[in-house]
Amino acid sequence: MLFSLIKKELMMEFRSKQIILSMLFFGLAIILIFALSSNVSRVILSNYAPGMFWLMNLFIIVLGVHRSFAYEKDFDAFSILISNPIDRGLIFVAKWVSGFLFISVTQFVIFVPFFKLLLLEFPENTLLFLSTTLFINIAIMAVANLISGIVLRSKFSEILLPLLLFPLLSPIAIAATKISKSVISLQPFAMWNEWFLIIASIIVIFGLAGYALFDYVVEE
Amino acid sequence: MKLFFQNKKNLILLIIVSILFIVNLINIIFFTPMIADQHWAQKIFYVHVPSAWVGFLGYFIVMISGFMLLIKNDIKWDDTALAAAEIGTFFMALVLITGPIWAKPIWGTTWIWEPRLTTTLILFLYYMGYFMFRSFGGNIERIRRQAAVLGIIAFINVPIIFLSVQFWDPEIQSHPQVEMANQPPEILYSFLFSLSVFTIMFILMLKYKVHLINLKNLSNKNV
Repeated sequence: MLFSLIKKELMMEFRSKQIILSMLFFGLAIILIFALSSNVSRVILSNYAPGMFWLMNLFIIVLGVHRSFAYEKDFDAFSILISNPIDRGLIFVAKWVSGFLFISVTQFVIFVPFFKLLLLEFPENTLLFLSTTLFINIAIMAVANLISGIVLRSKFSEILLPLLLFPLLSPIAIAATKISKSVISLQPFAMWNEWFLIIASIIVIFGLAGYALFDYVVEE
Repeated sequence: MKLFFQNKKNLILLIIVSILFIVNLINIIFFTPMIADQHWAQKIFYVHVPSAWVGFLGYFIVMISGFMLLIKNDIKWDDTALAAAEIGTFFMALVLITGPIWAKPIWGTTWIWEPRLTTTLILFLYYMGYFMFRSFGGNIERIRRQAAVLGIIAFINVPIIFLSVQFWDPEIQSHPQVEMANQPPEILYSFLFSLSVFTIMFILMLKYKVHLINLKNLSNKNV
């Protein structure tokens, strides 16, 4: 059942390409604004680069996650989905997995223009940079999908989502920036392992909370 | 429904809380000793730390009530959660106001990203979203369940927020609560007295707020 739900999410995106394309172009627009509004030396900019990278990601994630749940509002598809005799926790897991895939694909594409347009050097350890980014995405999507599931059927869900999501994501934002900064400056794992553990604990806590509580969240 | 203070127990509790609060204020202003390098600024901590304690207690009650609502599906737990959230947020606002007032003369700046203060700010902002979520309306049964989930995940996130802010800038460690425990008995006892008064006041406020929410629910039913 889980694979069918994930397949449904991927098929919808494959047909419409709404989520990835909107995240991608919004991300590029943010990079443009960053580049034009930060007319400082490369040394200063490279210090801020990890923070800017995650700030951009948080903005595009809000857009993508909101879109991913807004699909379900059309023709009241969500009510039909939850009226099926399936474990509702699996709906959360399917959204989590598909959201993770969408944001990761977007980040892999946007990674190059981010460093190129801001005239920054690519991280020397690009593979590690991207792998840690993937790991952080898992945590972000766990929190984002749970909150998005809650606000989905509210009025002004597009306002409520960032209002509730950003405070909850603040520890991830700190940890993500610290991890990316450490990887870019080639620090050993021992220097940033506590951040890694914070991300891991968020994945476990919000993954379990999302799976267990999603039933209450979506119940009519 | 009877008025809240027509109930004798509530009236007695109100009188006790009022007397204790006045005694507490007089004690803080006139009888607690001055600390050499802090002078009057230090006295704000007899209000600041107890406010933080009852604020977090409020949010803890929101989480417990959230669990109870999901398990028992009884509306009274949602009333308790909403009341505790509102009072908790009021005290959190007090923490965010009194913190910078103390910080200016002591740290030389109104704000530093001290872990407890930062955690308070993050929770305060989150609860602003929580209240907006509740007020924007929708299916009331669903809003109750979803608000319960929001209350639960807010509180389970507290240790993570605290740890991440602490690791973020390990040099910022100085916090009055730690210093307070090392103070001489005349300061410590006054502080503990203030803490107790705030806790009793919180209980009274919570009972009163739950009563008001019940009245509102009744009037909504009658419309």
